[in-house]
Amino acid sequence: MEIKTSQGIHKSKGGLIRSFVATENGRIKEINISGDFFLFPEEAFFKIAGELKGIKAKREDIEHKIEEIYIRENIQSPGTSPADFTESIMKALEV
Amino acid sequence: MEEWRFIDFGLVDIRDMMAMDEAILKSDEGNTFFFWTPKKSIILGFFQKAEVELNLSQCKDYTITRRISGGGIAFSDERCRQVNYGVVGTIDNALFPMDIIGSYKQICGVLIDTLIHYKLNAAFRPINDVVVDNKKISGNAQTRWEGKLLQNGTLLLDFDIEEMLRISNIPKEKFMDKKIASVREGLTWLDRELGEQRDMEEIKNVMKKKFEERFSIRLKSGSLSGKEIKLTETLLPKYYSDEWVYR
Repeated sequence: MEIKTSQGIHKSKGGLIRSFVATENGRIKEINISGDFFLFPEEAFFKIAGELKGIKAKREDIEHKIEEIYIRENIQSPGTSPADFTESIMKALEV
Repeated sequence: MEEWRFIDFGLVDIRDMMAMDEAILKSDEGNTFFFWTPKKSIILGFFQKAEVELNLSQCKDYTITRRISGGGIAFSDERCRQVNYGVVGTIDNALFPMDIIGSYKQICGVLIDTLIHYKLNAAFRPINDVVVDNKKISGNAQTRWEGKLLQNGTLLLDFDIEEMLRISNIPKEKFMDKKIASVREGLTWLDRELGEQRDMEEIKNVMKKKFEERFSIRLKSGSLSGKEIKLTETLLPKYYSDEWVYR
């Protein structure tokens, strides 16, 4: 099966979030996020893409997962919320 | 009156500067304010991918590195007319607030006071910009480490917008919520606002004075400590590596 990577762009108050997502059988297979937002602690950011791999490519599942990581890792990202990351990813999925 | 350390690094290779920047944050030499002027270069924000944000085939004669704080690319053309600064401070909820936007606002106040000195209509635009008549003249980026903050920023004295557009991939979404149609309308620089070129040393002296006033301290010229130099040497390979820049 061919895997296609799509880009989604969403602007939050804190910056621009560009997501590159590939899915397979309705689940996220590959995901990369690039952007000029701020997020503390910075290293926790890698957990977002890392832990989204394998989950269902659905808004609720994605947002729930990101919120869970925010709480666990004590993430602060002024002007950017889990919903903003989710929106950027959904835009890639809807391409 | 309390004294804080002041360093002017002058014209620097940004890979060396970013290593010193991190070393100052992660050593314990007290609150510090410093200046540098970057050679022709691009500094990526921590969360940016080089191949996404840059038109890499157009960047061949630029030095590219990445910093430890988020935010967008810091682009320096060969005019070298930018005042870049760094602040390392202990978060104390008085001079350096715990609240992220509050602390940006506090430090950006130095730039605003400087621009007001030149009779410009400067203001803070959350999260991390300083604007003159709603045009960005300064970008700033902050990170935190063990109870301290590091903020870097730039004050544009001159700026080659066409060159920045040539080397970067800025999508239209970037500007849509700022009520401006394009990057050209959204940026400005001091030489343009004043209609003349002011001496960079003069501007730095105004900034220094405004910094001292805002924090009610005196800046005392110093240099990196032995510990900081050692840590810088340890950090240098990272800032020169493809693994860090093109990850």
